[in-house]
Amino acid sequence: MKKRNHWIMGSAIGIASIAVAIDHTSHTLPKPETNIEYQSDDEESPCSLDSPCSLDDSLDESPCSLDSSPCSLD
Amino acid sequence: MSHTREKPDLPVVLLSLVALFSISLLLQNLFSLKHALLFIIGTGLGISLLHAAYGFSGAWRDFIRKRMSRGFRSHIWLIALTSLVFFPIIGGAFSGLQASAALAPIGLSVAIGAFIFGIGMQLGGGCGSGTLFTVGGGHVNMLVTLLFFIIGATTGSVHLNWWLSLPDIGKVSSITSFGWLPALLLQLTLLTILYFLLRKLEQNRHGKVQALIQPAIQQSFLQQLIFGPWPLWWAVISLTVLNLLIMLLAGHAWSITFAFGLWGTKIWSALGGDISSWTYWASGYPARALNNSVLADTTSIINFGIIAGAILAAALAGHFAPEKTITKRLLVISAIGGLCLGYGARLAFGCNIGGLLAGMATGSLHGWLWLVTGFAGAIAGVYLRVWFKLDKPVKA
Repeated sequence: MKKRNHWIMGSAIGIASIAVAIDHTSHTLPKPETNIEYQSDDEESPCSLDSPCSLDDSLDESPCSLDSSPCSLD
Repeated sequence: MSHTREKPDLPVVLLSLVALFSISLLLQNLFSLKHALLFIIGTGLGISLLHAAYGFSGAWRDFIRKRMSRGFRSHIWLIALTSLVFFPIIGGAFSGLQASAALAPIGLSVAIGAFIFGIGMQLGGGCGSGTLFTVGGGHVNMLVTLLFFIIGATTGSVHLNWWLSLPDIGKVSSITSFGWLPALLLQLTLLTILYFLLRKLEQNRHGKVQALIQPAIQQSFLQQLIFGPWPLWWAVISLTVLNLLIMLLAGHAWSITFAFGLWGTKIWSALGGDISSWTYWASGYPARALNNSVLADTTSIINFGIIAGAILAAALAGHFAPEKTITKRLLVISAIGGLCLGYGARLAFGCNIGGLLAGMATGSLHGWLWLVTGFAGAIAGVYLRVWFKLDKPVKA
């Protein structure tokens, strides 16, 4: 029974990890046809869509400071 | 007090440590140090919750069924200490520190949502934080509760607009109304009255009151810190400190349920479901979270950390994935409980952490409404557990 529970938990964590990886890559990988176009822009600006700058912005604006947020919905 | 400790589950301990280290590095590399730190804080929350077995549902059930108030009183301490550190920050006592209060309107949506959540806590076998740390502890039935928690939170976000059309009196902040110091004093006075009321009710039933701080068990401080079990007051202190760190880093108090709705909506969308009419996800922070990686969302990172921390703590304590008979009936009740938890939390602007604790500790009066109606729901849930034959009838 204990081994079976280990396997169930391991499988659940494995599936969840794959789902997170798929979600992450689907948001961060550039589209192949636009990759060449954006290459030069990426070099010039550190705050492109794929960079940490743009993702940090989402943190700076707290979920609780907005009306349509998890903490203070309107 | 003597304590027999199980042998740590070394393979799981090693795997967890490797995973924790790798995920922290990954988050720092992909996003920022802030993301990595929030994940580590989540891990600390998971360890604290599991080692102290710190939940709301069991503690409230103990009080409702047996008038044992020790756990419930520790929640009052947690709310009081968190208020003590949050009120000055929200009130602007420290220039340069900016943080948002978990404000929500006082209305039917919160009252009904918290009542439904209270029922869900008892049927699902865990609250918001409880579900996460018991899943991390390897309790297989709690996987079902979590799955339906996610479904419920997602469904709740779809229906939310209708619920918000019900009557409310708007957002009321005691900090804005009275200033942070008078509001804090008022809050602490009310919590003290509630604390002594709980003590009185236990005293009346049992003739004595169980002390919050229990006698130490026979092992060194370091052994107890690493392998557990922790006394409740350790959890109260660590949860307060970690919640403060979240507030300082993320700019908002610890919350859980938003991530569940986000995960559900992302999964539904990935499966080809149409979310174009789901207005909740169409603008503001929810829209940005939906269009970003799940790893960019602070609540998701903290939730992942809680699960990871609980896995590590359970493995260190030697009781990861414990043996437990899981019947089909238990799974069905867990599913119903999970749905109530998720749906109720979305309507109530958060679970026991994001709605009750964060609401009360940041001066939003909806937190007090959450406490009253959530507890009423828990009473109904306790009787439903008897009806479902999970528990024996409640003695008068």
